[in-house]
Amino acid sequence: MGAQVEEEHEFGVNDTAADAVASKTKPINSVTDFSPELLSIYYSRLFPFELLHSWLSYDPSTLTGNTTKQLAGASILSRREFSTTVQIHGDEIYKRYQSFSTQADIATAIRKQNPLKIDIGAVFNYAPKDHKSLPGGKLQPVQRELVFDVDLTDYDPIRNCGCSGAAICGKCWKFMVMAMEVMDAGLREDFGFKHLAWIYSGRRGVHCWVCDEGAREMGNDARSSVASYFEVSLASEKNKNAHLPHPLHPMLRRAHKILEPHFISSIIPEDGHGLLATQASWTKLLLTLPEAANPVSIELEKKWRSNKHHSSPAEKWEELKAALQSFIGKSGNSKAPKNVSNSDKLKIEHWPIETVFKYTYPRLDINVSKGMNHLLKSPFCVHPKTGRVCVPINMELVQEFDPLTVPTLRQLMNELDEYAGDSVGHEWQKTSLKGAFEHFQKKFLNPMLNDVRKSQRAEREKRAAVVGDF
Amino acid sequence: MNVANRSSRAAVSPLASSSSAATTAVKGGLVEVDMYTDIPSFELSLDEFEEFALARLKVLRKIEELKTRNTPHEAFRTALASTLKQHLPNPKIDAASHYILRAAYCRTEDLRRWFLAQECKLFSFRLENCSNIREFMKANSIDLERVDKTEKERLRSKLTSVIGAPSPLEFPSTEYYKVPFMEALRLVSNRECYLEKGMAYIPLAKIISIVEAKYRVGLSKSLVFAGHNIDNATDEEHSRIGPLLKSMNSQYTGPTQLSSLDNGEALTAANVDANARSMPLCMSQLHSGLKRDHKLKHQGRLQYGLFLKGAGMTMEEHTAFFQREFTKIMTGEQFNKQYGYSIRHMHGKEGKRASYTPYNCMKIVLGSPPSGGEHHGCPYKHYDDENLTALLGKLKIGSEGRDAIMKLKREGNPNLACAKHFEVVHGGAGSVEGVSLEGVGNHPNAWFAASRKYYEAKEGGGGGKGSLGSGSKEIEVMAE
Ligand SMILES: [Zn+2]
Repeated sequence: MGAQVEEEHEFGVNDTAADAVASKTKPINSVTDFSPELLSIYYSRLFPFELLHSWLSYDPSTLTGNTTKQLAGASILSRREFSTTVQIHGDEIYKRYQSFSTQADIATAIRKQNPLKIDIGAVFNYAPKDHKSLPGGKLQPVQRELVFDVDLTDYDPIRNCGCSGAAICGKCWKFMVMAMEVMDAGLREDFGFKHLAWIYSGRRGVHCWVCDEGAREMGNDARSSVASYFEVSLASEKNKNAHLPHPLHPMLRRAHKILEPHFISSIIPEDGHGLLATQASWTKLLLTLPEAANPVSIELEKKWRSNKHHSSPAEKWEELKAALQSFIGKSGNSKAPKNVSNSDKLKIEHWPIETVFKYTYPRLDINVSKGMNHLLKSPFCVHPKTGRVCVPINMELVQEFDPLTVPTLRQLMNELDEYAGDSVGHEWQKTSLKGAFEHFQKKFLNPMLNDVRKSQRAEREKRAAVVGDF
Repeated sequence: MNVANRSSRAAVSPLASSSSAATTAVKGGLVEVDMYTDIPSFELSLDEFEEFALARLKVLRKIEELKTRNTPHEAFRTALASTLKQHLPNPKIDAASHYILRAAYCRTEDLRRWFLAQECKLFSFRLENCSNIREFMKANSIDLERVDKTEKERLRSKLTSVIGAPSPLEFPSTEYYKVPFMEALRLVSNRECYLEKGMAYIPLAKIISIVEAKYRVGLSKSLVFAGHNIDNATDEEHSRIGPLLKSMNSQYTGPTQLSSLDNGEALTAANVDANARSMPLCMSQLHSGLKRDHKLKHQGRLQYGLFLKGAGMTMEEHTAFFQREFTKIMTGEQFNKQYGYSIRHMHGKEGKRASYTPYNCMKIVLGSPPSGGEHHGCPYKHYDDENLTALLGKLKIGSEGRDAIMKLKREGNPNLACAKHFEVVHGGAGSVEGVSLEGVGNHPNAWFAASRKYYEAKEGGGGGKGSLGSGSKEIEVMAE
């Protein structure tokens, strides 16, 4: 069974061997932000078991607390796989196929295990904890949220802020903001999904959980199709000839509309990734133009090098685009040189879009999305390397989200100690987790459960109509 | 054979998994396209059952062959169209044969995959040819919402920004439909459609791929369902149809006039004895029965006579041979009176002048078993284990070979047992030049032709002259 572990890469796989050894011998470098003791307090006082339970039950009655009735939702929870990573004598043990029937069961098990990480798997046809007593192959996933995983490590070739690997800064976090905006728009507008939860992965990435009933019931082929729909192969060092197909699909057109302003504000300026900020960087960029556009690069290079023009990177970008347009005869009364072929014209026309995409388009870890049975880290966990909580992200304020100000365990303990306000229902309400958790409840959980309620009612009426029992 | 009078329902009950309205588009007699969601309920004779199944098998094997050879699209379409015209000329044969083969090919994963692949190619071919796709979809309750003019205009720039979209000139006359994106996954994957709020906007031409996907999924499900249920069938018909279905995938559909492939010396009354060693067990039993009793009963005369005809024996030689044997217990006049006509009839020289083809193994296996004094039938099917073991022993087949043959026989695989017999007595036949094992175990004439080639190659001469003695004695064994 151990060989079946499909680990989400956030934790473990991408860490260097040295990191892994270090984590065994001494706790974490930021000892003040994370420790097993702090984690234990987090699980006993702050972890929002009620939110996790309410969500994974897909049971509207959890909203009112009236859960005495045995509803279909309760059985969804009990067939859900939970996996935990626990530390025993310095070794990390991965425990799969756990399942729980009630919120109290979850809380008891988690508090007892004090896991470094909790993963959420699929809902199966049987309770996964019984997997050993089932004949081989009998346990089959039957539903699962459609999930997406974006991680900054996949952006290393284009990060030009000094960060690499696990390190992040405000400049490179912008990549995550862009990915979230593009994916959120695509999933809602194109696929009509409504119930999306965006979660900070605790260090350098984000996860998206699409929880609409239709999404949860999708098979692997449908998941692959949706993932492929968003997948764009961009020119890279390895594959310089990857080009966007023509015409540009409406989804990509919209993505470009979202991304170009970010490209201008975060990628090209000096205080961003500096793509057009210095002579060295713009020369490098001009060299990526199709060969047929050489006259344009030569002219602009010469112009920008002379000190007469102190144009900003944004002005340079507009100037470059205009020069290309006019070169291929797409603007004003200019005419394209006769020796430029149609296919070259097309390449030149697409170059600005491809360039924007190369530096901004979401780089998804597509395999996470394709399989129903792929485990993904639970929201509300704490990342052991940073001590930060995997908090829900408010898409309305996504540009303001700063991963470096997400509360750490140490900070939360201080906030608990310093709290002097009124008594509250949940202790997390005393801390800076309040905003993110309440947002999750009000903007994601409640609307989603209301939709579940509506569809349950419709289902009941349909059944009643069939048996004539109105 | 009197099976022609028995009738049999083509639909094997456990295969019924869906029941919607009739869904066939027919044009000029030929089937245009059919989703096969409606189980046919007409009566078929056992002969028709077999004939139709073989006809479709020929079509599916042709499809496989054309695809394996990477036949260009147009050539593929032309070849398939003519094959269809020849073998599946009307909707009855088409529907019946589809369901018979569905039952025959649902038994294992490999068979299902093969059948699904060929049937889907056939379906796509027909759908592409279909003159009225909209009508077809309506009949098959494929629910598509047509995009109205206003919406189409509103979305013009988006709809035309998709790979493979109609040109600006074609756009006004292109009909668009919207379907839930889950119905158009392949198009979604490749961004070959515009998506809005979970609906995929698709031009009519591309709807084809959706219908194909639906057909594939439906057929695949039905096959798996049938595969799980076929063995539970208690239908009394099942006991008769069962063996037929089981052997279907190994049916020989090659040329039945095998003599035409055989460049060796023609089979005559004079050399037939010498060639008896190349006959499969069923035929060598008939041969020795004839030699011993100097007569053959009706079923035996048909089975053996058509075999000889198939092996290239002319009507004259056929008559001479039978006359030589029969006249040992009757006068020439009696023979001519009683049997001359039926031999000429077999060769198409009397009566309807139909040309009768030699029996294939399925026909022999499914035929009535031999009773006292009869030598027809299939020894691997109709003999009991003890008799067959003894017979093989007398044929000097070693115990190892005998065990292998008997094992297959006991498992209810007469075809495989017969092929094993061939293998045992023709060591290394597979690597002998000119010997084709295709059809060995499925058609007595294929067995015979392969064996003759084998001896020819081994002995460097025709027909196995001079090796008659012991071989002939070995096969003079009673079957009872
Ligand atoms: Zn950075």
